[in-house]
Amino acid sequence: MSQLLGKAVLLRCPAGTSFQDKGRPAGAQFGIPTSGAMDQKSFRWANHILHNSSNAVALEIAQPGLRIQFDQACLIALAGAQVGVSLNQTSLSNSTLISIAAGDLLEIGAFLTGSRLYLCIQGGFQVERYLGSGSDFESITSPYKRSTQEVLSYIPIPQSNSLGAKPKWETSWFESPEIEAYRGADWALLSSAQQELVRSTTFHLSKFSNRMGIQLEELVPNQLEDLPTNPVFPGTVQLTPSGKLIVLMRDAGVTGGYPRILHLTEEGQSKLAQKRVGNPIRFQLLDTITG
Amino acid sequence: MIPHYQILSPTFGELVWDHHPTDELLGFQLAYLTYIQSNFSDALAEARQGFTRISLVWKNPKNQQDFLAQLKDLKLPPMQLSNAIWQVPVCYDPEYGQDLNSLSESKNLSLKELIQLHSEPVYRIYFFGFLPGFFYLNGLSSLLHTPRKSVPLLAVPPGSVAIGSSQTGIYPMQSPGGWHIIGRSPLTFFDSKQPIPVWAKPGEQIQFVPISAAQFQNWNKPYPKLLRK
Repeated sequence: MSQLLGKAVLLRCPAGTSFQDKGRPAGAQFGIPTSGAMDQKSFRWANHILHNSSNAVALEIAQPGLRIQFDQACLIALAGAQVGVSLNQTSLSNSTLISIAAGDLLEIGAFLTGSRLYLCIQGGFQVERYLGSGSDFESITSPYKRSTQEVLSYIPIPQSNSLGAKPKWETSWFESPEIEAYRGADWALLSSAQQELVRSTTFHLSKFSNRMGIQLEELVPNQLEDLPTNPVFPGTVQLTPSGKLIVLMRDAGVTGGYPRILHLTEEGQSKLAQKRVGNPIRFQLLDTITG
Repeated sequence: MIPHYQILSPTFGELVWDHHPTDELLGFQLAYLTYIQSNFSDALAEARQGFTRISLVWKNPKNQQDFLAQLKDLKLPPMQLSNAIWQVPVCYDPEYGQDLNSLSESKNLSLKELIQLHSEPVYRIYFFGFLPGFFYLNGLSSLLHTPRKSVPLLAVPPGSVAIGSSQTGIYPMQSPGGWHIIGRSPLTFFDSKQPIPVWAKPGEQIQFVPISAAQFQNWNKPYPKLLRK
């Protein structure tokens, strides 16, 4: 089987590059984080235009500078952040769907808007799955991060295609500051003044942001006590005793003891995943019944 | 102990118990969790358990409404919790428990008393969280409750047995941690090479068995013995 697979060499792999898919919800019972693509919306779309299974493994790229060379033909799709892309040192005007020939060198340049790019490949990257997922996480996958000179496996196609359809990825959906959220399990512990503060404040992303969580700058002062440890999810917003809000993301632990004041929709999580340090956000509260 | 259900989104909600965590409550939680997993398996996307809640993620809004309609008439008896005890060897030696001496001083206990207070009780496993394979245990003597360190350690070694606030636990892998480290176990607590990466389940019990540094160094079994009563 392995000699039939295509090989793609990561000639340059910036920090923060990882394999991701829909995630590993079956792991929560053992304390394993959900993981998976931070921006599920972009990940899903790129797999969709390739006619991939919805759980095909993609590369999540969070920094410019990735260089990857393919030894056989394949079809790839890019979604998420808007980035500069060149193929064999020629820059591409539409890099959403790219037909790759044997020996092609793909380079990812500057991130123009957004924070995370998904490189999906027809058939998905061929990786070992654990509990139904190929998403990288320390102590689950080995290695747990991608590095320069690593060789990735994929299913090649007989020859590169001239493409019929020319889909174009749009990023306007993640550019507004409004992030949709439901009231969290512990929302009622907040005073009405604190609730109003959460609703009306324009928060900004702090530099303490990674795949585990995104901490916000502005404070919501509170005297709330720690609660019994209970479940949290990607999208749960915790309020810490210092007043900081932490939006838990895909690699967060599965339980926590801070009050859970909001829960972001999946669209809200995807949008937030594309924001950068210093970007403003406002929470738009949804009603549980009509939402 | 009949829970109520808090709807949090059209496809997400929690079973809520307004009780302190006890073995009795855990018995009810496990009864509800097992019932839901076997009767709503096609509708349920995910279930997560904590000390006083069970979070349920549904595949679609109708699944949640159907569950809610059936929950009204559901009165489950608690699940009988196991009497079996996993024997977890721990070397309580300052070489492996870097905070052992400072904790015994601050508690005004001798090392022997501290070790006895920690290794005498039988602890109940409530659920896994914080890190892959990390048990949340109930049963720590109130004499050993200790606020977490103000400055967490960057790299707590795997197998470290520690106390934080009213909890005791074992770090399955190297991790930053703010708990006071009092010893180390030679066992494997998480192994993703196995189809099921942990050897114990919520509702089961563990007991810490003191071993010497020599025993620790020569320990060659990755899993504990199960003592059946």
